[in-house]
Amino acid sequence: MHERKLIKRAIEDIHNGEAKKINFIWIEANGCMGNIISFLNADKPDVVYFLEEMVNLKFSPSLMQAQGEVAYEEFLEVLNTDFILGVEGAITNMDEGFYNIFATYKGIRVPTAEAINLASKKAKAIIAIGTCASFGGISAARPNPTGCISLGNFLGREVINIPGCPANPLWVMGTIASIILHKKVEIDEKGRPIMFFKESNHTNCPRRSYFDNKVYAGKLGEKECMIKVGCKGPITKAYCPLGLWNSRINWPVEANTPCIGCASEFFPDGSEPFVKY
Amino acid sequence: MTTKITIDPITRIMGPLSIEVEIKKDKIVDAKSGGIQFRGFEKMLIGRPPLDAVYFTERICGICSTSHGLVASLALEDALKINPNENGVKVRNFAHGAEYLQNIMRQICIFVFPDYVNITVAPGNAGYDFRLSEKYTEKINKDYVKALECSRLAHEIIALIGGKAPHNHGVFVGGTTSNMDASKIIRLKSILHSISEFMCENMVYDINIIAHYYPEYFKIGGGTKNLLTYGLFHDMHNKEMQYVQPSSYIDGEVATLDPKSITESSAFSWYKDSVPSEVPSNHPSETDIKKPGAYTFIKAPRYKGKVAQVGPLARMILSGSYKNSISTMDRLMARVLEGKKLCEKMFLILEEVEPIPAVQDKYTIPDSAQGIGLCDAVRGALGHWTTIEKGVIKNCDIVTPTAWNLSPIDELGQHGALESALIGTQIQNIKNPIEIGRIVRSFDPCISCATHVNTEYGETYHINIT
Repeated sequence: MHERKLIKRAIEDIHNGEAKKINFIWIEANGCMGNIISFLNADKPDVVYFLEEMVNLKFSPSLMQAQGEVAYEEFLEVLNTDFILGVEGAITNMDEGFYNIFATYKGIRVPTAEAINLASKKAKAIIAIGTCASFGGISAARPNPTGCISLGNFLGREVINIPGCPANPLWVMGTIASIILHKKVEIDEKGRPIMFFKESNHTNCPRRSYFDNKVYAGKLGEKECMIKVGCKGPITKAYCPLGLWNSRINWPVEANTPCIGCASEFFPDGSEPFVKY
Repeated sequence: MTTKITIDPITRIMGPLSIEVEIKKDKIVDAKSGGIQFRGFEKMLIGRPPLDAVYFTERICGICSTSHGLVASLALEDALKINPNENGVKVRNFAHGAEYLQNIMRQICIFVFPDYVNITVAPGNAGYDFRLSEKYTEKINKDYVKALECSRLAHEIIALIGGKAPHNHGVFVGGTTSNMDASKIIRLKSILHSISEFMCENMVYDINIIAHYYPEYFKIGGGTKNLLTYGLFHDMHNKEMQYVQPSSYIDGEVATLDPKSITESSAFSWYKDSVPSEVPSNHPSETDIKKPGAYTFIKAPRYKGKVAQVGPLARMILSGSYKNSISTMDRLMARVLEGKKLCEKMFLILEEVEPIPAVQDKYTIPDSAQGIGLCDAVRGALGHWTTIEKGVIKNCDIVTPTAWNLSPIDELGQHGALESALIGTQIQNIKNPIEIGRIVRSFDPCISCATHVNTEYGETYHINIT
């Protein structure tokens, strides 16, 4: 598992003084906060390791102690340092950003879009965590009530996209390790780290032999190829069948259900119906 | 003279929340709970394939997605007249229980511990009045780290059943999609064993330590005494596995839940509706961000026209499992004790899960149908009212637990549960009103969605449960 070796090397380099522990800001934009929850599920390394050995997490609404103006001031302070910006959720900038507020400071409301814009100008690297931040995702599902767009489109610049609904913590951890180690992540034309998004789920599916022999499941709960009940594995580049989910113990197809394409740029409008009967 | 204080963001909750209070001398005289995020899921659901509602609505919430998937499945089973498979119901209830455990561990240890104890791993500094001795501070710091491990284990349970977590695939219409065998059952049992040990020993001990050092929190942040639950594990055939029945406690009277008594007001919410609507309403609300007086995207659900509290404390009282009072600390205490109780129930459920393949059908969508899904998520009463027309979703009315707890004022001037819990609270230091964050977090807000114990503290709460 090359990504595990990469993380290990990044940590060794920090210990040897060859790589500096960099500050990290994690912003929660319009979404379900499922990416930070997914990240808390990280295993080997886990979040404690991440916090103690890999980065200085300076801002995270879910984890930080401070609140209110003090929290916002802590955010502003990091902007004068070297830091990585991670954003989960899509960006809503409609009606002056009214649909997602980051903070109220000295009586003034700071929209999340504005805070992201501010931080992006000084960040050493920017990561879109999850499908909403990467491509708009479910937050931008038709009729897109809050005018959500991806982080890259909002900023008008290239960012590293780690799609997945939510993003798999293995992919996020590996990408951050790569930034720490190489100061650069190899990405594809959609900004996705090649090490996790090189091939489709279909290519590496353990049920591929059923597909090749045209043996198909007729409903959920069956053991054969899920393509006839809606599987989006062929249009979904991701690392699910190889890296699996949670502590690398399972993935949706192994639970006898179709891949719904949650890591694809077409999710969700272009990957409907999820279940086809 | 009154002082206005706004705390925004309220951190260590799910999603963006702004709390505005007015303080006269040292007492909160007015409070506004502002859900400052809008996503519009009900609009998005129109025209979508009905079965997709299960995986689609999971995305409303990153921390309680299994609850949305389950309630969406219940609504579809009701609409499609499907009798779910008995083994499948046990398996998905077990997965739902694991989602509760994940929530309880993360809420209490990761979100709430830093309110009362200096947690060194947690980023930043809060400037709170930490009171615990060095020994106990060290213990709770260790348990913070242990909670990260055990909450991950709780999501492993869901992943084993549903493929991944958050946003699993295995909880579905008809029960579950996942096959059960002896190897999987014993694996689930061993994981639950580890969680149960942490929850029943470490967490129960920890919350008692915190309660001991902060006893005044049994006196503040009470709010409305009306309680509501849509039930949990009430569809289990074996009575021993049931936990709480759909029920209410309104103005001193306990009664079975009547879903027709639920209404929703938008009088002070950024929506065009001005009169309270029935639940379900027949169309999603249009936003109106210029509406005079409005201050939140959260609506105000009411039961028989009354404000009600939902969540662990409501369920524990209504199931006759908790007999203390209603306060900030009681909410935390009840949440931990509920975790203990759920572990016990989940062991019983697992005993009866049979090692057999999943039973699923190829479901046919009727041209038109209506279905109701009601079940408690960890934060409280969660309902999906789904209408199907021409084979697609025509309307889906979703009323979330946080709407119950964090609702704004309604057209009658009644404050929501959190607002009423804040009003009347004495603030020790107006420059650092730490009481507010503590009261808010005891409700475990989730804006993305809406948006044995020591009972020696506090007064006894007398209610008779039949």
